[in-house]
Amino acid sequence: MARNKTENNETQPGDAETTVKVWDIWVRLFHWGLVMTVATAALTGFFANATWLQLHIIGGLMAGALVLARIVWGLLGSRHARFADFAPSPRAVIDHLRTQSRGGTHRHLGHNPLGALMVFAVLALILSLALSGLGTLGGVLRVGPLAPDLGTDTGFALREAHEILALILAALIALHLGGVAFESWRSRENLTRSMVTGRKPSRSGDVRHAPVRARGLIALTLIALAGGGLAVANATLSGRPVPGLPTATMPELVTEECGACHMAYHPALLPAANWHAIMRTLDDHFGEDASLGTDDVAEITAWLTTHAAETVDTKPARLFARGPEDALAITARPAWQRLHADLPETLFTTQPVGSASNCAACHQDAETGRMSPFAITLPKETQP
Amino acid sequence: MTSPIPSLKAAMAAAALTVLAAPVLAQDTSPDQLLSAYEAEAGASADLARGQALFTGQHTGGKPDTPSCTTCHTMDPRAKGQARTGKVIEPLAPGANPERFTETAKVEKWFGRNCNSVLGRDCTALEKADLIAWLSSL
Ligand code: HEC
Ligand code: HEC
Ligand code: HEC
Repeated sequence: MARNKTENNETQPGDAETTVKVWDIWVRLFHWGLVMTVATAALTGFFANATWLQLHIIGGLMAGALVLARIVWGLLGSRHARFADFAPSPRAVIDHLRTQSRGGTHRHLGHNPLGALMVFAVLALILSLALSGLGTLGGVLRVGPLAPDLGTDTGFALREAHEILALILAALIALHLGGVAFESWRSRENLTRSMVTGRKPSRSGDVRHAPVRARGLIALTLIALAGGGLAVANATLSGRPVPGLPTATMPELVTEECGACHMAYHPALLPAANWHAIMRTLDDHFGEDASLGTDDVAEITAWLTTHAAETVDTKPARLFARGPEDALAITARPAWQRLHADLPETLFTTQPVGSASNCAACHQDAETGRMSPFAITLPKETQP
Repeated sequence: MTSPIPSLKAAMAAAALTVLAAPVLAQDTSPDQLLSAYEAEAGASADLARGQALFTGQHTGGKPDTPSCTTCHTMDPRAKGQARTGKVIEPLAPGANPERFTETAKVEKWFGRNCNSVLGRDCTALEKADLIAWLSSL
């Protein structure tokens, strides 16, 4: 079919059924781009473990960027792309519901008032998800543009909000799919195909509007400026020092003495009480004799407790600081067991890991005490 | 060769090599010296077979997770071993790892810990001599 350079409302001749152009190419690209990015973020967020976090963040940020671009297009795009075209007044919503319930058949070429409400809700939710996600990244994982401003208190609260928003979005998407199915049935047209082709069958009784010219160049400029501005802001904000991170370098005495049988665990992975207890009982140290001279014990204890979990503000420190006193080992802390509950037992017991205590076999940044989900690589092959 | 430069270079390279090769830990002894010191302390001479039996045998007096030296150092002390934590242990036999038995304090520290873990007691001077004799023979 030859591409027809018709403007918005002209019908396209030569079709079995005359159609009218409704959705411009940008609206359609935006819609399906959003489907892909939100699906990526949702699948990785709801179902995948922390090793998928990078993809989750890429999906979420791209969805947020698409929404920002859509907002510009909602102000400057073609007729049915504009928010003004479908922004419903409360009155319009009520009227719409009333006519529908009376079995009315009149059709909106663009979004109907209920659909429009859905569009605004989804756009707002995606933006809030991107923001709360960035906040979670900064507060919980202490990286990204907001890391210097947020600690784990705010971070975990934001993560909670992020999860609730995500559930609401999932519910709205379910409603949206239901609405599209219902409306397609009710008005006997395939709305999904319209979002692919951009065209709807032309019907008598369609509400007609004068075409509106899209301000493509201005929109593009605005989007480019916004993108550049955000990139600069991100670089500037992320460049600031982040307080509360574990930075102390381990003295040689500790790397030597506490790194002989296992990696020298970072002191921020356990609270001071645990370090005291461990250092008091070195002659019976998790089933082995790890005894040391009293001077060395005193020096190591002092260093470990000055840099214990209470002294930093990171996710592992916060999580492992909590728990019963008799759970001495990191791997005995309730949070550790929860975080690793989904991993098969054999992964820990077989080569090349050998033991759950061998954090460095899976966590590339284990010595730093950060345990970033971006630094997890599971060994590909295991053998007994 | 007449040019002084190559010999200067060689001297510098030699100096650099010496620095690189210098062990991080102070090497104050050798397997042979330790062996004779333990023998002198015990007043008896070492026996390879006794050393091997002690090292490869299963014991019950120590901590339950470490019934034998081979738990961590494997049946072949020339090979790498593995601690219960998954960490690799470099070979224990001096023939495979020249750094072994070259620092008195380190040897004493680990004999103290490992004999206690495996046997539930300190090793005697004679046992230490037996072990070093067998390990050095590999
Ligand atoms: C003689 C060997 C040895 C030495 C030396 C040693 N450890 Fe350990 N450590 C162990 C073993 C064995 C375990 C238990 C590992 C397991 O259960 O997989 C352990 C476990 C730990 C754990 C708990 C790890 C976990 O599973 O969560 C901590 C913390 C720890 N050691 C701290 C120290 C400190 C601090 C020092 C230095 C003072 C030290 N260790 C020196 C052998 C040693
Ligand atoms: C066999 C590999 C393996 C070992 C060994 C291991 N971990 Fe993990 N760890 C993982 C994986 C995989 C995850 C992600 C789990 C998930 O999200 O379901 C994880 C998650 C974590 C997290 C949470 C990261 C985040 O922000 O989501 C922390 C903290 C952590 N591990 C600490 C430790 C410590 C401390 C040790 C050693 C005592 C250790 N791990 C040993 C594989 C391992
Ligand atoms: C629980 C594991 C384990 C067991 C069991 C064990 N060792 Fe070791 N051994 C180690 C570790 C870990 C080191 C120190 C790491 C290193 O130097 O590579 C070590 C070091 C040593 C050293 C120090 C040598 C040197 O000069 O560097 C000697 C000697 C030694 N072990 C002897 C023994 C003997 C003898 C037994 C049996 C009675 C034994 N070990 C049992 C883990 C073990």
